[in-house]
Amino acid sequence: MSDVTTSGSSSPDTSRRSGERPDKPAPSVFALSMAVGVVVFTVVTVVATDFSLAGIIEDLSRPNSSFQGLLNLDWSQVTNPRALAAFVETVQMAVVGTIIGGFAALPLALWASRVGAPNAAVMWTAKTFNNIVRAIPDVLWALLFVAMVGIGVLPGILALIFFSIAVTSKLTSDVLDGIDMGPVEAARAAGSSHTQMLRTSIVPQILPSYVSFLLYNFELNLRASAVLGLVGAGGIGQLIDFYRGARAWPQVWGIIVLFLIVTIVVEQISVMLRRRLV
Amino acid sequence: MSAPDRRPTGQDPGRSGSPRRPDDVAQHVDDMLRPERPMEVFRWVVTAVVLGLLAWGLSADIRWNRLVGAIPEFLNIMWLMFKDPDWSALPGLLDAMWESIAIAWLGTVLATIVAIPLSFLAAENLVPKPVSVLTRQVFNVLRAIPELILAVAFIPVFGLNARTGVMAIAVGSVGTLGKLCYEIIEGLDTGPIEASDAVGASGIQRLRWGVLPQVMPELASFAMYRFEVNIRASAVLGVVGAGGIGTLLSQYISFKVWDRAGLALVVVILATIVVDAISGRIRRRIVAGPGGTLHMTTIDPEALDAAQALAPEEQPGAPA
Amino acid sequence: MIRFSNASVTYPGGVSAMKDLDLTIGQGEFVVIVGLSGAGKSTLIRAVNGLVPLTGGSLEVETADGREGRRTHEVVGLSGRALRDLRAEIGMIFQGFNLVKRTSVLNNVLMGRLNLVATWRTLLGMYPKADVEIAMRALERVEIVDKAYVRAANLSGGQQQRVGIARALAQEPSIILADEPVASLDPPTSHAVMRYLQQINQELGITTIVNLHFLDLATAYADRIIGLRDGELVFDGPGTDADDDVFRDIYGRSLTADDVLGDDDETPAAPADAASPHGAGTWQAGEAGSPQAPA
Repeated sequence: MSDVTTSGSSSPDTSRRSGERPDKPAPSVFALSMAVGVVVFTVVTVVATDFSLAGIIEDLSRPNSSFQGLLNLDWSQVTNPRALAAFVETVQMAVVGTIIGGFAALPLALWASRVGAPNAAVMWTAKTFNNIVRAIPDVLWALLFVAMVGIGVLPGILALIFFSIAVTSKLTSDVLDGIDMGPVEAARAAGSSHTQMLRTSIVPQILPSYVSFLLYNFELNLRASAVLGLVGAGGIGQLIDFYRGARAWPQVWGIIVLFLIVTIVVEQISVMLRRRLV
Repeated sequence: MSAPDRRPTGQDPGRSGSPRRPDDVAQHVDDMLRPERPMEVFRWVVTAVVLGLLAWGLSADIRWNRLVGAIPEFLNIMWLMFKDPDWSALPGLLDAMWESIAIAWLGTVLATIVAIPLSFLAAENLVPKPVSVLTRQVFNVLRAIPELILAVAFIPVFGLNARTGVMAIAVGSVGTLGKLCYEIIEGLDTGPIEASDAVGASGIQRLRWGVLPQVMPELASFAMYRFEVNIRASAVLGVVGAGGIGTLLSQYISFKVWDRAGLALVVVILATIVVDAISGRIRRRIVAGPGGTLHMTTIDPEALDAAQALAPEEQPGAPA
Repeated sequence: MIRFSNASVTYPGGVSAMKDLDLTIGQGEFVVIVGLSGAGKSTLIRAVNGLVPLTGGSLEVETADGREGRRTHEVVGLSGRALRDLRAEIGMIFQGFNLVKRTSVLNNVLMGRLNLVATWRTLLGMYPKADVEIAMRALERVEIVDKAYVRAANLSGGQQQRVGIARALAQEPSIILADEPVASLDPPTSHAVMRYLQQINQELGITTIVNLHFLDLATAYADRIIGLRDGELVFDGPGTDADDDVFRDIYGRSLTADDVLGDDDETPAAPADAASPHGAGTWQAGEAGSPQAPA
């Protein structure tokens, strides 16, 4: 941490003119304790994970199937029908998850905010629900749903729905803090109900941002749905898991390359669309 | 409402009106004809597209019959999880969660250490264009690969242990931290740097007094935020064997040992929320500075995420 | 009819914005409230529709509910559906216009019908024809119906306030409250807006209460002027009785140039906010007091 307290270094002549010298402020306690804390914590974690740089270097210098697979990348995966079909499934999962989850996120974000909640009880409930949902990683959702409904695309969709709720409601909550309260007052003064007020005075203000978040959410879902398959929730992840099990590393990397291509293309399109929104 | 007729008339006599000439009146009426309702094609197209996408998405090979039983199944599992938790599993779970936290922390620290020098290679104001472009693409690629997949690829290299997890997190985070770093470098206020040159500071001193004070708070704040994100990733790395609570989680859930799975779930959720809270406070303290003595452009990483989601590429940011 | 009886408002923190007010305003009156900032004008106006609750005393508001005839409501203690129904009878116009900038003028005016339109219709944006008709007529009355489908953000200040008036009119109210409606507008536009309010009051019989801090506007348009100082009523009389001495008394200080709006030119005429929002140059030679609509 940088210590920005520099004082008392002026020449004697000038300070005589300005009166009493202030005491040099103590170095920021916070910055110091942070620096110490970081170092200590890092050391502790090194021990806890049994980590050693030497070990890493040693591992890297040994030949291993994974890196060899990377060097012998199976480019045919990029056009392989099986891989592409799995990818279509991945995209479908991401689409459904974004639409349903993103849609559900709007009322949840509204109800968790001071201005959007009809009363304190609703706000508390929505906030708690949101906090819990946001603390669960996407893979964990997938694990749970696989246990509930079996493997396949369905648990993946369900997992992405909840993941989308987490992502979109978080982003939407943030923009809710900055809205113009004027129309809200006008709606109240005209005798509208709470829901009508939300629809006419608040939603139009946040709509462009909200749509932008949905697009961003879709990008994240695409990344996530590739991974969910590793636990059986469908899509490209299941294919990766298959090849991994068969130790067919060139194929694994080939699929990762395909994944990168699709993700980057989608990201560019999304960036283009989002720019035009806001 | 009992009010006098409010039909609009061509004339509006006002306070001291004298009626206008007939031509004026006709003109006035024409001017005030109601406009036609616009077609709103855009709205309908968008709705159609969204519904179409939804239908296409749902056309995947979904076993719908499993969905029917899902809700009672869900309630059943909730019940099994929490009615009588197996507390004996708690120490093991806390241990494993601690390992996940350690993995996330170490991975973030490593990524920061590696990203800083690398980001100099990506700064357009420091290196020739081809070099910076290449480095940025490397960052982009690393950002795009999910940590879990990196873990899968690293297991043959580093083994089924926490080390693999650390490497997966580290490699995954180098991309986003590197991006933030080079954007900070490019946006540096050259004033303090010139000033330190002017007083004859050496290279390192210039770094220490010219560059670091501007950069450290932002960087530290962002690294802490990355740590919070990485907790979620590291918690699940164990699913493929890369250490942490993920192993226990996936075992308990797959084998339907619900009285332990519920506990594991609660441990993960609580640990995540607690780490978020502590890290969040530290971040805000960093950004605010001790008594506000630091002057800098502050970047709140959560706002960055939102900015990334809104107007991407212009802002430094990271996908969550 | 609006009747304050021993009404008080004390904000948390101890600030007393209304002290034992006794005031009766009859149906159809055009009342202007003047006073320094913080004198209690805003509090008084917002008490009428319950946006600011009384902490003491009582307030009766009589409305003409179309089908049910006249009803008197006691505002203190009103909540939920009953409060919303009362507010639907009272239109409000704001200094900042309070329009939803991203949406059309018509959608903004339709907000005045919210209390009577089913929620599901509001959610889908499918308002009944009859309500759209009322909204259109309100827009015609303020002579801006040609902009019905224009985005509110694309209008000038004066135009936006006219939409605000239309929104209030669309409620078919018994009372209209206007909180500093012209504070953000230039002189010609301010006069135009005041004229609309005056016409509406005279032609439709709607009780109108306006907060103003421009004293010349107050004397020009008010039937009755109410002066507040430190939350107390210090003047209540016809507009003609209010001269500079009276205002000095209400303000508790001598008057400055800021207290007066200023001339809108010798030929008081066009709102002139068609070509340029600040009205330069497009005067239409018309009769005194007739707002001629720009194309």
